[in-house]
Amino acid sequence: MNDPLKPIEVALEEEGLFFTRDDDDDAFRVAFKSEGDRYFVVSYRDDQTFVMLGSGWALPAGADAAEALEIANRLNVRKKFVKTALWQEESDVLFTVELCVGSSEEIRPHFGRLLNVLRDSAVEFFEALRDGSEP
Amino acid sequence: MANVRERMVRFIEGEGHRVDASPVDPGLGVSELLFRTRGQVFSVTTNENDAGLLSISTAYEIPEWARERAQNTEALERVRAQHDGIAFTLAHDGGLFVATLDEKADSMQDIMHVFWSHVARLRDAGQHAIEEIVDRTESKVAAEKFINSFMMRDR
Repeated sequence: MNDPLKPIEVALEEEGLFFTRDDDDDAFRVAFKSEGDRYFVVSYRDDQTFVMLGSGWALPAGADAAEALEIANRLNVRKKFVKTALWQEESDVLFTVELCVGSSEEIRPHFGRLLNVLRDSAVEFFEALRDGSEP
Repeated sequence: MANVRERMVRFIEGEGHRVDASPVDPGLGVSELLFRTRGQVFSVTTNENDAGLLSISTAYEIPEWARERAQNTEALERVRAQHDGIAFTLAHDGGLFVATLDEKADSMQDIMHVFWSHVARLRDAGQHAIEEIVDRTESKVAAEKFINSFMMRDR
């Protein structure tokens, strides 16, 4: 069986990270942690050229959804690769890198960079939400 | 039983990272743990006699063309002054430097709480040091080129 996320597993091995697989009838999924934060990679069986890396975070209790949306929008304008979105009735924020690839082997050499940009986006989002600063 | 080492291994593995652990001095209860994050290998030293004692290090290779010991010692001293608590040591005949952060906390719990921020501080200091070393050497090379061409014209 073709496994589009096998190169992602190799990239994670190279980064020295543990991972778990959670494939089902619809999708291939890899979950892992880095520096204690959780991330996922997903590709769909009916669209294997699409690969998404992401991390989801709960918004702090009492966070202003309008302000969070504004910060997300500013990040979307400024950041390369990463899409920031509020979802689940605006109680969570999701950071994703969505790519169209011939094979996820193409992602492997850039995996560290993509992980960094996901991580930095989350840090900048929550700093801006906490301090009211420009992300 | 290496209790402190095992607790630290479990902590780092629980954070998602593979760990290679080995005793350095079993008599003194000192062990070294190696793990990777963001493409960089970090070494953590634990001490069975003091759970609150921790040392984190990471090494940076100095490009071959920038291995000027006296200048790099000065550069590391300047960077050290800007990064409180970080020590730099030149090693391997000036081919690399090691950045180290020593922590004395009340408990392992306290250490775990600040662990990743310490790793980040080390990474920032190490990057700063590399930039300082490379930038200084490039400036010197540029200056030498300028002086050499100036002198040649004078002749």
